[in-house]
Amino acid sequence: MLRNYLKIALKVLLRRKFFTAISLFGISLTLVVLMVTTALFDHVFAPHPPETRLDRTLGIYTLRLEGEGSRSSGFPGYAFLEQTARDLPGAERMTIYSLQQRAVSYPDRRKVLSWLKRTDGEFWNVLDFRFVEGGPFTAEDEANGHFVAVINETTRERFFGPDTQAVGRPIELDGQRYRVVGVVEDVPFLRFSAFADVWVPISTKASTAYRHEIRGGFQALILADSEEAKPLIREELQSRVADFQFPDPDEFQVAYTGADTLFEALSRMLLPEAAHQAQPGRLLTILLTMAVLFMVLPAVNLTNLNLSRILERTSEIGVRKAFGGSTRELVGQFLVENVVLTLLGGAIGLALSALALGAIEESGLIPYAELTLNPRIFLWGLAMALFFAVLSGVYPAWRMARMSPVRALRGRST
Amino acid sequence: MIRLENVSKVYRTDRVETLALDNVNLEIEPGDFVAVMGPSGCGKSTLLNLMGLLDEPSEGKVALDGRAIERYQDRHLARLRNEKIGFIFQQFHLVSDLSVVDNVEIPLLYRRTSNRERRRRALAALDRVGLSSRVHHFPTQLSGGQQQRVAIARAIVGGPKVLLADEPTGNLDSQMGDEVMEILEELNEDGATVVMVTHDGRLAQRTHRTVRLFDGRQVH
Repeated sequence: MLRNYLKIALKVLLRRKFFTAISLFGISLTLVVLMVTTALFDHVFAPHPPETRLDRTLGIYTLRLEGEGSRSSGFPGYAFLEQTARDLPGAERMTIYSLQQRAVSYPDRRKVLSWLKRTDGEFWNVLDFRFVEGGPFTAEDEANGHFVAVINETTRERFFGPDTQAVGRPIELDGQRYRVVGVVEDVPFLRFSAFADVWVPISTKASTAYRHEIRGGFQALILADSEEAKPLIREELQSRVADFQFPDPDEFQVAYTGADTLFEALSRMLLPEAAHQAQPGRLLTILLTMAVLFMVLPAVNLTNLNLSRILERTSEIGVRKAFGGSTRELVGQFLVENVVLTLLGGAIGLALSALALGAIEESGLIPYAELTLNPRIFLWGLAMALFFAVLSGVYPAWRMARMSPVRALRGRST
Repeated sequence: MIRLENVSKVYRTDRVETLALDNVNLEIEPGDFVAVMGPSGCGKSTLLNLMGLLDEPSEGKVALDGRAIERYQDRHLARLRNEKIGFIFQQFHLVSDLSVVDNVEIPLLYRRTSNRERRRRALAALDRVGLSSRVHHFPTQLSGGQQQRVAIARAIVGGPKVLLADEPTGNLDSQMGDEVMEILEELNEDGATVVMVTHDGRLAQRTHRTVRLFDGRQVH
């Protein structure tokens, strides 16, 4: 039975080449967009090195300050993080690091721009970097203001050429000389917390003004003892933030932030109403709604195409009913045809997605991006394709299969 | 074999009510070969559709093989049609995407039959109508007479007791029509009950008896 259905499905698809091509184009294009989007999402939010312990990691990514008549949304300053995030109960480790900034160098009189991130020593314990040479700098290096640096493989090649060792050698950035102590594998740009080309101790900053700043370009990552400890950390941070003493109470009186997941932090940044309280559920709803809408439109189109395609086969429906096909069996047949079509479109879509992701990687639009189609995304794609098949196939199949056999044999569909 | 008791059929649209069959009583015995005649629109096809359980009467009862059809439930009817009835249509209604043998296999798809057994029976049915040499052709590659013979093979492949033929020769020239008629006669001699709608008095004469309809009523 199924073999016969498949046989008919393939024949029908081959006979209507134009229709098949349009359908396949619609399905595969939609899938490509969704697959590339999910690949980017996966790239940002799923655990990949060096952010491998995301289940236990919380971050203080944003800070909103409000006072009478003044408001400020941005990133926390070093002093704020020191006072609120240090030694939280339930936290195994905590690191403070700066946002990455451009730093300029002139090795061999060439101009080289690098992303520079300033971190403490704990940074290397909270995150899981892969060292190819040397090792991280330590809390002691940071406390004593040692001019040491960890660089990535690309930077090593840019400064010292291919196939060379860099540990122990000097590197100059923004006019300051550092000694390379370690080389790590490249970190993708979209691993926001970890990404940089060069990492140096915070204390190597030219000025110490940052130590007193409430607002500024810093963030903190907190590694919880266990997943269960996360609520405790969130709660304690909230109470510390509520009690926070502003050095200049005339300007701001209230601070809003939280120990967030990256997605929660994103909701604070994207949704105005989430500035005080992260609303990941709302953001997820919005994103899923957009994805569903994006899929519904082609599905409606496909439904129409399917309907007109099946209309041409009323005589076949009549014959099958006359010779003992029940409505259920006919719905089955049309669904099989649709699933075959959609899976074909899915396969093409997956191949095109792989090409598209490869092209994005090649283009360098997202530095060090690793956008491979991993099995998880493949399964997502497959699930989406099947969802599509059912969405665009059930209604026409049901409507046609219900047709009275007498009318079908007369060649009328209504 | 088939009994119609006080059967009426009314077609309703938004504005008009059409009485297609009016209080028809008819008994078809096993092994009968019955011709149904009458002018266009007199209800011949409606009568055949009711006998074939493709449609249900507005009033009255239809009994098939000694059993009154009371529950007109899709799955139930589909099974009865599959086991007891074979249809032959004026327009053949072959599925153009399928080869001759695949077309003939259709009724067996809705039964528990192995692939091999299905193929064997389809080839036997094609042999019976003299088309063994055309099994892998597609319908459009065949003449009208050959197509109708494929349709007959499809109608008999499941071994039904009743064959319902709606103007089986209507689209064929007289020679091809005769060939088709001969096959129907042979099948009837082998025990099949045949009901055939026709306009052709010559063919009707070759059957056991003729039922005449006029404006939905049976005339004698």
